[in-house]
Amino acid sequence: MNKLIITVLAKDRPGIIAQVTTDLFDLSCNLENANQMILQDQFAGFFIVEAPAGLAPETIEKRLKKKSGKNGLTIHVHRLDTQTPGEGEGLAEDIFLITTIGPDQKGLVARFSSIMAAFNANIVNLKAVFKGGTDPNANVMSYQVAVTENVDVKSMFAALREKAVELDLDIRIQHKNIFDAINKI
Amino acid sequence: MFEDHEIISTIEMVKNENLDVRAVTLGVNLFDCISHDLAVFKKNVRKKILGHAAELVETCDLVGEKYGIEVVNKRISISPIALVGASFNADQMVEIAHELNDIAKTVNIDFIGGFSALVEKGIARGDAALIKALPRALTETQRVCASVNVATTRAGINMDAVYEMSKAIKKAADMTADDDGLACAKLCVFSNIPQDMPFMAGAYLGVGVSDAVINVGVSGPGVVKRAIERNLADKHLTLGGIAEIIKRTACKVTRVGELIGREVADSLGIQFGVVDLSLAPTPTVGDSIGEIFQALGLSHIGVPGSTAALAMLNDAVKKGGAFASSHVGGLSGAFIPVSEDLNIANAAHRGYLSIEKLEALTSVCSVGLDMVPVPGDITVQTLAGIIADEMAIGMVNAKTTATRIIPVPGKKAGEKVFFGGLLGEARIMAVPHADLTDEFVTYGGRIPAPIHSLKN
Repeated sequence: MNKLIITVLAKDRPGIIAQVTTDLFDLSCNLENANQMILQDQFAGFFIVEAPAGLAPETIEKRLKKKSGKNGLTIHVHRLDTQTPGEGEGLAEDIFLITTIGPDQKGLVARFSSIMAAFNANIVNLKAVFKGGTDPNANVMSYQVAVTENVDVKSMFAALREKAVELDLDIRIQHKNIFDAINKI
Repeated sequence: MFEDHEIISTIEMVKNENLDVRAVTLGVNLFDCISHDLAVFKKNVRKKILGHAAELVETCDLVGEKYGIEVVNKRISISPIALVGASFNADQMVEIAHELNDIAKTVNIDFIGGFSALVEKGIARGDAALIKALPRALTETQRVCASVNVATTRAGINMDAVYEMSKAIKKAADMTADDDGLACAKLCVFSNIPQDMPFMAGAYLGVGVSDAVINVGVSGPGVVKRAIERNLADKHLTLGGIAEIIKRTACKVTRVGELIGREVADSLGIQFGVVDLSLAPTPTVGDSIGEIFQALGLSHIGVPGSTAALAMLNDAVKKGGAFASSHVGGLSGAFIPVSEDLNIANAAHRGYLSIEKLEALTSVCSVGLDMVPVPGDITVQTLAGIIADEMAIGMVNAKTTATRIIPVPGKKAGEKVFFGGLLGEARIMAVPHADLTDEFVTYGGRIPAPIHSLKN
C-alpha cells in the first residue's frame, strides 16, 4: 500500500484538474478519491491516490511541482496513515447541523469550533460566509458535526447556545435527518 | 452534504414561517379496562393510560429539541367512553370525565379526547348517558374534549341525535356563560368522524386499532403562504403552478411530521399510526389560513372565489401529504376555524365572511363550521338545523364535516368573545333567522343514507 494524499491550491481557472490528474496518470498513480472546492476565487483540490510501490511521496511532489508548479499551483503530497484508527472510529455517529446567522465578528469560527473540540465532537463539514449586511444568506456559519455516544451532547448544545447569545447570533441545532426529510425526496 | 439554500430554507420554515408539529397524540385503547364497577373502571383506565403516557411529554420535548422543531401540543385520544363505559349513567359519566381530566394533569398534556359517542344509526344506553353528561362534564373539567358522530355516508343522519346535541350545546354554553360558553369549544358534532385524527377537539381512538398508537398532526399554513409569495414574482405562474407549489410544500411538511412521529413512537415503543397534515391556524400573524387566501390574490376569505381557492388548497395539501407518507390519516386538509385564525375572524367581523359562505366553504375543506361563535339566543331548532345542514354536506360528499359552534350566552352578533390561547377570539357571527322554531329538526328519526350511484 502506497496511499498518498495530494493537495493542490491555486487561483481558480479552467484546466487545473485536467492538469493535475494527467500528471498523476503519467506517474502511474491510481486516483481513488477526488474533491474540490472554490472559496471566493481560490481553488483547493484534494486527491487520494494509490501510487506505485517504491515511489516516495517526496519524489512525486518533486515531479508534480516540476510539471505543474510553474503554472502557479501549490502542491503538497503526504503519505496516508491507514493503520492507526481515528478517535471514535467504529462508534455509531449522529450528525447535527449547527447553523448560526448574524453579524460578522472576528473569531466566530474559532470560538464555536473550540467548544465542539472541547466536547470531542468532529466537524465533518463547515461552510462559513460573512459578507455583512442583513441578508441571512450572507452571514452564515453552518457546521455539520458528528457526535458519538461518548459526546455529552446536551452540555455541548447548551454551551453553543450560550455562546450564540453572548455574540448576538441566532443559532439552530438540528439533527441531519430533518434536512434529509425536507430536501431529499 | 446539503446545499446552502437547503439549510437556509429549512431554518426559515421553522424560524419565520411557524412550521411546527402541532400535535403528537397518543391513542390508548381502553377496551380492556371495561368493568361494571365504576371504581374499578377508573382505576383500570388510569393504570392503562399512565402505563403508556408517563414519558410522552418528555419524549416529545427531547425529539423536538433534536430536530429543532417544537412539538407544540402533546395529547391523548382514547376509545369512545360511551362504548367502554356503556354500563354507566350520566352522573357516573361525569365522574369519568373528572378522572380523565385528572389523568391529563398527571401526565401534563393539554387535552384528552374521546369523551365520545358514535350514534349515527341510533342512541344506545351508554350514548344517551354520555350525551346527557356532556354539559356538566365539559363545564367541570378543563382538559377533556368530547365528540359525537351523528352521521355517516353509509348510515345517514341520526336527526334525534342532532336535536339532542343541539340541546346539549345550548346547555353547556349556559353553564359556562361566564367564560363565553367555553365548554362548547371542547365539543364537536361530526359526520364521518375519522378514527385516527390527532387534532382536538374531535380526536378519539377508533375501534379496530392496537393497544396504543402515535398519531401526528403537522401544521404549517405560514410555510404554504410564504412558498406561494416567493413564487409570485414569476409572471408565468398560473393557478396550476400555484397548486404544484402548495403540493410540494405540503409534501415537505408531511415528511417532517412523519420523521418526528416515528421517532417518538420508536422511543416510546409504541406503534406509529398516521400523520395528518392539516393546515391548522393559530391566532398568531403568519400562521393563518386566511392569509393564504390573500396570498392567492383574494382580498379576504369569504369573497367570491374563496370556495374555488379553498378547493384547490385542500386538494393540493392532500396530494402532497399522500405522496410524502404511506400512512396519511385524520383529516389532512385545510381548517377554517373562525376564532382560532385572526385573519378569518377579521374577515367575519368586517362582513366578508358570512355563516352561509362559511358553510359553502366547508363543502370543499377538511372540517366544518369550526369555532364559530353565534348569538346566545339562537333557538335549539335553528342550531340543530345548522348542525343538520353541515352533517348533510359531509354525508353526501363522503367526507368528514363537523360543527364546533359556540352559542355565547347573553351576547349578540358583532360582540366580542375571548376564549384564550389557541382557541383565540372573535366577534359573534350573525345568524339570520336565529329565532325561528321550525319543526323540521324535531321530527326525529333518520335521514336515510344517500344513493351511491347516479352521481351527478
